Amino acid sequence: MSGASARPGQPGEDATPPEPLLRELEALAARYPTKRGGLLLMLHRLQEWRGWIAPADMRRCGTLTGISAAEVFSVVSFYTMFRTRPGARFPIGVCRNIACFVQGSERVTRALSEKLGCEPGGMTADGKFSLQEVECLGSCGSGPCLEIDSRYFENVDTDKAGRIVDRLARSDGDATEAIEEAAKAARQ
Amino acid sequence: MANYLSLEFARSGPMLLAEARGKGRWATAERVLKTMKPEQVVDEVKNAGLRGRGGAWFPAGIKWSFMPKEPKGPSYLVINADEGEPGTFKDRQIMEKDPHLLLEGIAIACFAMRAETCFVYVRGEYLSSLVALETAIAECEQAGLLGDDALGTGRRVRVLAHRGAGAYICGEETALLNSLEGRRGEPRAKPPFPAVYGAFGRPTTVNNVETIANVPFILERGVPWFRSMGTQGAPGNILYGVSGAVENPGIYEGPLGMTARAVIDQLAGGVKAGRKMRAFIPGGASTGFLPPGKLDVVMDPDALKKEGTMLGTGGIVVIPEEVELLDALRVLSRFFRHETCGQCAPCREGAAWSDQIVGRFQRGEGSGDDFALLNDIMRGSKSRTICVFPEAFAGPLGSALVHFKGDFEKSIKPASPSAPQGTAVHG
Repeated sequence: MSGASARPGQPGEDATPPEPLLRELEALAARYPTKRGGLLLMLHRLQEWRGWIAPADMRRCGTLTGISAAEVFSVVSFYTMFRTRPGARFPIGVCRNIACFVQGSERVTRALSEKLGCEPGGMTADGKFSLQEVECLGSCGSGPCLEIDSRYFENVDTDKAGRIVDRLARSDGDATEAIEEAAKAARQ
Repeated sequence: MANYLSLEFARSGPMLLAEARGKGRWATAERVLKTMKPEQVVDEVKNAGLRGRGGAWFPAGIKWSFMPKEPKGPSYLVINADEGEPGTFKDRQIMEKDPHLLLEGIAIACFAMRAETCFVYVRGEYLSSLVALETAIAECEQAGLLGDDALGTGRRVRVLAHRGAGAYICGEETALLNSLEGRRGEPRAKPPFPAVYGAFGRPTTVNNVETIANVPFILERGVPWFRSMGTQGAPGNILYGVSGAVENPGIYEGPLGMTARAVIDQLAGGVKAGRKMRAFIPGGASTGFLPPGKLDVVMDPDALKKEGTMLGTGGIVVIPEEVELLDALRVLSRFFRHETCGQCAPCREGAAWSDQIVGRFQRGEGSGDDFALLNDIMRGSKSRTICVFPEAFAGPLGSALVHFKGDFEKSIKPASPSAPQGTAVHG
């Protein structure tokens, strides 16, 4: 997946966070009994802004929390939600755990893989979609479930998965808005 | 018996403060904080016999009583909302539909434990839960229910929502505390226990969302009411989760002590029409597989312990006949291999090796020697690590070997005289 570019409209690798975000990061460090307590929320905010967590972000978090950039990286690497490389515009995660599996999640993954032309774990050539199998999302009663940037799509069959992709493929505006719209449409 | 936990679950979004107060939310917290003493609250919860709904079923009131009575410095309440046990999706309902129920319980629990700050650790993927909770916290601060002068009592009760970042192990309470502190979510050696040295080195109690959601009702309606539901050893209602091959998957409230059969048939509409049950998981992935012949087990922590399994989170998963047992087991062995934190060698290696061996059986390439190897892995990792993760991955594996041994036996590769003998597991 290396070599992919950041999402359109998203800051590049060397961009500096804007002032309001910097102030927000400082406030997060002050929110907990220790500065380091704010680290996970800081990383989430930086990833929302840049689309991934760049080395510069880890150095910044280290300075704000009083630990080394290497130690920040050891935290980043522990958690599956943090990306240390630019991701796709629409990263699709299909739950593969037991309740979704029993309800046919493998069929959904296969259908998406064929439609997108990329294997699970891969990204489409245009960087628009990535496909990944993920562990239990806590939607066991409404599986198969898939998530796109922490937005859940529930009771997904192969048809619905196809419609979600079609809708997202048409969008060239703000990614988060497009995902929200697709989620709304999928619920109807 | 009437339900009380799930009355708002049919809503499409969270119940906001104005409506919640109309439904009686916050009235009990106000009375408790204004008229009771912390010790009385702890005693009520103790006498009610409320046990922890996160899976360990430890008596909540006893846990609370470990907290310092005259704290020198801050004590913390931490809510475990890192719902990650496969088959479990109940805490999400409370946070996304009735967040003020959780917050009211938090205010009462903070008062009982003399804690001024509560951190709610919400799993990273639960963005909807986090947003609902943050909205509700802001409403409460605005209305003076939470904050420096909570409910006009002069007491400080602050609630901070924290977001995880995707790691099953953070549901283990000391891993959760490390994660809250901005560290890798690796469990801590105990002792010291959290009540002595918890979040940020301070006395801390970690409680599950559903456990705390029971608290306002216990204080409102009393011990005899709570004990009139459930079993003698585990009173009250529980949020059963039912998923997999059933007619109506979902979260259902019912008393502890129902049979698994009653939960599946009476609450979830039974096994899906046209399907047959191969196995069921009684309470989340780590509780393992039981055959349909065990459907009359009682959903009670002590009764299921006698069956060699656990009640866990009460999340039942029904596996239909068209799913092979070894395929279902592999889904879970792969999960546990992925989620071991890697700190302790017996767990890190054991989870990986057992997944590889299950994979061999799944491909019909098992060997007779593998049974001894699997038992060695389970025996050699149990109680030899910092946390109970090896017990978790041994749940599905051990139960499959007991109840579905035939599935393994028919997946043994016929011996070929020229093949080298041995137990190499890599491959």
